[in-house]
Amino acid sequence: MTEKSRRIAAFYLMISPWFIIFVTLGLFPLLYGLYLSFTNYYGFNMNNLKMIGWHNYDLVFSDSDAMYALGRTLYFTAINVPLGTALALGLAILLNRSIRGGGVYRTIFYLPSLVPVISTILMWKIMFSGNGGILNAILNVFGIDAVNWLGYDHATTSLIIMTLWGAGGGILINLAGLKGIPKDLYEAASIDGAGAFQNFRRITLPLMTPIIFFNVLMGIIGSLQVYLQPILLNGSELLARPIQPNYLYVVHAFQQIFASQRFAYGMALLWVLFVVILALSIVVFLTSKYWVYYETDRER
Amino acid sequence: MRRMALLLTLTMLIVLLAACGGKSGSGNNGGASATNSSVKTAGNTATAADSGKTGEVVTIRTSISDGELSKDQIAEFEAKYPNIKIEIEQLDGTKLAAELATNSAPDVIRISGAFETSSYAIRGIAMDLTDRIEGSSVIKMEDLVPMASVFRFDGKKIGAGAIYGLPKDWSNDFAIWYNKKAFDAAGVPLPDSKQPLTWPEVMELAKKLTKKDGNKIKQYGLAASEWGKTEPNFNLLLQYVLSAGGKINAADNATMDFNVQPVKDFINMWVEAVKSNVGPNSLNNDQVSGGDLFLSDKAAMLIDGYWYSGVIRSNENTKTHLADFGMLPTPIAPNGTRMAPTGGATGAIINKNTKHPDEAWKFYEWFFGGKPADDRAKTGWGLPAFQSKMALLPQETDFDKQVYGVLQDELKYAGFLPVNPYLSGGGWGIFDKYVQPLYFGKSSVDQAIAGITKDANVAITEAKNAAGQ
Repeated sequence: MTEKSRRIAAFYLMISPWFIIFVTLGLFPLLYGLYLSFTNYYGFNMNNLKMIGWHNYDLVFSDSDAMYALGRTLYFTAINVPLGTALALGLAILLNRSIRGGGVYRTIFYLPSLVPVISTILMWKIMFSGNGGILNAILNVFGIDAVNWLGYDHATTSLIIMTLWGAGGGILINLAGLKGIPKDLYEAASIDGAGAFQNFRRITLPLMTPIIFFNVLMGIIGSLQVYLQPILLNGSELLARPIQPNYLYVVHAFQQIFASQRFAYGMALLWVLFVVILALSIVVFLTSKYWVYYETDRER
Repeated sequence: MRRMALLLTLTMLIVLLAACGGKSGSGNNGGASATNSSVKTAGNTATAADSGKTGEVVTIRTSISDGELSKDQIAEFEAKYPNIKIEIEQLDGTKLAAELATNSAPDVIRISGAFETSSYAIRGIAMDLTDRIEGSSVIKMEDLVPMASVFRFDGKKIGAGAIYGLPKDWSNDFAIWYNKKAFDAAGVPLPDSKQPLTWPEVMELAKKLTKKDGNKIKQYGLAASEWGKTEPNFNLLLQYVLSAGGKINAADNATMDFNVQPVKDFINMWVEAVKSNVGPNSLNNDQVSGGDLFLSDKAAMLIDGYWYSGVIRSNENTKTHLADFGMLPTPIAPNGTRMAPTGGATGAIINKNTKHPDEAWKFYEWFFGGKPADDRAKTGWGLPAFQSKMALLPQETDFDKQVYGVLQDELKYAGFLPVNPYLSGGGWGIFDKYVQPLYFGKSSVDQAIAGITKDANVAITEAKNAAGQ
């Protein structure tokens, strides 16, 4: 064995634990789901499967529920991702200042992302409640009329508020990015007379763009896949149908698979979502060269 | 070009990885059916020969919950049948769907008789138990109450044909429970428990019983269920249609049409009730459950079946003043027939693909007809499936006597909800989807009815296709 092939073998050997798990528990189910999406699988006819071509995919685009849900999901994502990213960055910048007890604040802001999602939902349900809910109590103090937080008109706003409460999860990675910015840049800037805003605008923000890029990408993927929060915010069991404005895309897929046993159709729905995620990710990647700053210039 | 290709590949990989480990659970992207390749077809053909040779210990898995089948009961059974071990598997709807898809579902599957029997029969999951029940010395056919037939299905009609299961217990799920303290607080006399109210009368009563202090609601008139909001649901619709004599199913069940007067009346009546805030609902966004309100004297009436007497007898708030509670007969549609159907009838079927049909049956026979059936009847947490066990229901206190008295009347009006076997439980989501917007003035009753009819027929056509019909 030559030195080169030994190095290659060592490489594959070292990544093999992850690779084997990824292939068997990740890639295989995904591709198997893809295969099933071209069949008439209803959950009980495995030994009588028929290939039905693109039928399930045709259905996705003529299913008014699926298209409605996709529209609501894109709307949710379009609001949730920028706000979530900005909030996580803003909080990280505040927490990055050397203040007494900074660590305590960091812990407090990070804490929401450690709370299990079910507990988070139950807690917010009580806060959003029209009977004794704290949000309406606060509005009442200021003489503002009570809001039906989980009703038709505000349900999506409430869902976004609840999701943003967990934005602290992005703080950690933002803080790591902020710590990585060389101090001497700020020192040099202050000698040149730059203020706090210029520091942020000319140093912090450009150097943080790779982190922001990562957060935006993960935010888009995560937001498009949200399903538990809308279901449990209005209902009390997994197969409950959320209030219409919060009927998001994966909720629809989940309902099709588990409430209606339309397994094959559910797979087609999820693969369409995969393509949507892929397309949006490509757009973000392609635009990144205009706004993401890399220390080492990429090869042209 | 190469850079572009690399970029695309990289993007795809990142998306794929994120999708695999997505924190919001998108692992469903195929996960549910990942292990489907191993589906076997043990089917009906499994015989006693391959289901436990002499001396071999066989494990029977069931999704009957540990609250319904205690450790002591299991020990009793296992002592009697040393070659059978019972294993309880806690299942929710999603896990059961995945297990059915991968042919790894339990041998004895807990289901709701009223809504699920036909669907399990059509899908070929439920074993036909007719011969076994007819030949049983523990379960006597002639002793079964009429409502036990909710587990029968002849391919078209629920209530006739092959027997696929038995109810563990059942109830007249659309009866009204009253809380006298709340009636007194509103200065409203209790209705006559001999005559059923009409549903519009219930709603009028609910309005009178709802007490406000300025904008704040001090007491609700009606809770539509013990766990949820005071809003209509598909079950309530079916009971109303049954009482009104409406026809929503085509004779062959191949289509449904909700555009009939009873459905319109039902939806109009309930939308009005929601807008009047007679109970916790999506408009007032009160998150307290109907049951909690009723038990703490903050709701005057509750729609629920006989089994709820078990809750009232055991709840800390209510067990000290049982005389304040009682049951009223199941309401009827205006000018309708008296009908007191069951909305659930929880029981079980035997999985047609079980490898041990004889052992599964032994357990089934014991659980549904043996000592556990007596134990259940004595607690009053539901009605037995056997006439002879009715006398075991609690009859000691005044509360017991009032409830038992009304029940005797109710039993005369047993009937089956007009469940479409192909739509099965699928109507719940469809109903909510179209009716909920009405509370917020976002749709009209006609639009809702058209939508429900359209979606229900799509689901029926699909289910028929899936069953190869």
